[in-house]
Amino acid sequence: MSLVNLAHVCSHLNNATKARLGMTSIVNSKLHLKLCLALQNDGLISSVVRGGPKAPPTHLLLGTPTPGEEVEPVTQSNIATRRLWLGLKYWQSEPVLGHLSLESKPTRRVTIDLPGLRRVIRGDRSGSVEGLRNPGECLYVSTDRGIMEARECVEKKLGGMVLCRIR
Amino acid sequence: MSLTRPARCLFCSFSRAASAAPRVPRRQFHATPLQLNNRKPKAPTPETKALDAKTSQVKSLEQIYRDMKPEDFKPYTEEEKAVLREHYSPEQIAAIEAGEAAIDPKDLASQFHFRRDPMHLKYLDDLSVIEPVVDHHVRAPESNSDYNATLKSEEDFLDDFAQYFEEMPEKPDAAHWVRFLETTRLTHGKEENELNAHSALVPDVFEHGESLDTIGQPPPPRVVVMNRMGELEDQQPEAISDMDVRLHKVTGYSKQYLMSLYSKNLVTKRVVNQTRMGKIASVFCLTIVGNRDGMLGLGTGKSEEVADAMVQARARAITNMQYVPRYEGRTIFGDVEGKVGATELKLYQRPPGFGLRCQHMIFEMCRAAGIQDIAARISRARNPMNTAKAAYAALMSQRNPEDIARARGKKIVDVRGVYYSGKFVRKPSRVSESKA
Repeated sequence: MSLVNLAHVCSHLNNATKARLGMTSIVNSKLHLKLCLALQNDGLISSVVRGGPKAPPTHLLLGTPTPGEEVEPVTQSNIATRRLWLGLKYWQSEPVLGHLSLESKPTRRVTIDLPGLRRVIRGDRSGSVEGLRNPGECLYVSTDRGIMEARECVEKKLGGMVLCRIR
Repeated sequence: MSLTRPARCLFCSFSRAASAAPRVPRRQFHATPLQLNNRKPKAPTPETKALDAKTSQVKSLEQIYRDMKPEDFKPYTEEEKAVLREHYSPEQIAAIEAGEAAIDPKDLASQFHFRRDPMHLKYLDDLSVIEPVVDHHVRAPESNSDYNATLKSEEDFLDDFAQYFEEMPEKPDAAHWVRFLETTRLTHGKEENELNAHSALVPDVFEHGESLDTIGQPPPPRVVVMNRMGELEDQQPEAISDMDVRLHKVTGYSKQYLMSLYSKNLVTKRVVNQTRMGKIASVFCLTIVGNRDGMLGLGTGKSEEVADAMVQARARAITNMQYVPRYEGRTIFGDVEGKVGATELKLYQRPPGFGLRCQHMIFEMCRAAGIQDIAARISRARNPMNTAKAAYAALMSQRNPEDIARARGKKIVDVRGVYYSGKFVRKPSRVSESKA
């Protein structure tokens, strides 16, 4: 699948956090969903909800999107309009989700093996992938066991395609 | 700290000293500063020798920390247990013994460290003794007061003088007169009431000239010099500038702290304002100030005179001082960027022993802030003023890992501090500005 849509997601999320939006939506796809779940797992976004063009109901206290009582089943006719609704987080007036940038490009996929990933998480450069040198910097890798953070990949001894970086 | 020394009350400071030792001025026949205390230590008597041996056995904090052995944690002796039995029930004694048995002294010795949390005591104390100053104020006992005391009348004083002249030796000296003045009572009634009266007021915590750092210590030796008129007077401490006095009022920093700050003038240039009257030239200065332990400030000043501009810049830098986060007290957290105008620069964190490999002005800023390992790269323009400002902005834009973890709802653990119980990692000391 092309990474063009992922590039759009990255820049859209950057714009949304700059505008201090509480909630935003992106195109629904398996890649986006898995990446968003990985982001949610790392505490970078507050919630991921599958919905349609209309925003799902917000949580009474948190203001984040929550799944409504009636979830519209996905059919062939409505699948093109399905979207992922993300709750964005802010801490001390600063977005928790930092700047997202695409590491693999639609025209150039970057893969990385385990020794390379080890170098990267230690802060060294490996090939075209810069090291993780800032506190809280994250690198998401698409592996055959799902999309996960670079440190988790090293724990599980996996390599894969580098998707995006958050700093 | 001497435990017996009473803190005097507000009004007691007007009364005379309780000791009867007279203060006798002696004539000075030379211009060298007069040392009022003995310079040479006295020949050691058996008692002082024993005391010295005792004090030399007292270990410093560092030594205690380094030499902690499992043998230092001994079980209770039978005598101590007997004392405990007086205070605790048998069930409590059993609980204490179970607790003693559960903890291995080896673990105690290896994991022993001093508390570093914000609530830790600022002094070492086993809390079993009441410190007269820290724990509560020691007042004179109530039995000292005499409510029927009356001031002496003139006749009484005449009697005192008469007695003085009667008892005067054949060759009276000044000391005799001074002793009379110092020991003659002013009231009828209890002597303690006059010398060390009971007071309901809270006594002063500090004696005259004492501070929190020097509490309980003997006052510094009084250095007396002869002035131009040939009179003896106390030597005045080094004079501080008017600007420092103003800064002390504005910022609350103590005068010693202001004097100890490291400041460096980074940029001095001539600037011109074009008016319809013509060109008005003045001097611009940019100065950085730091305490070499995490505080850094940047200030600019502009005046017709260079010296004036520099004083202005230093004062503004001191008021602008901010805390620079430092990893392990030696380098920065992550790589940070700064941009002012066309000057863009990047500061890189580096391993221990790397040094300050950066442009000279960034070097000075790191030195003032107490950063030891850093690398820097300036891209595009290298204007000195903008470089200093961009480096300051970059140092201040560091993100604290604890804040990031908190924002993400994660827990953060300093692994190096945990594995070696913090023994081999230099903890960044949060700066405690000594406020006067």
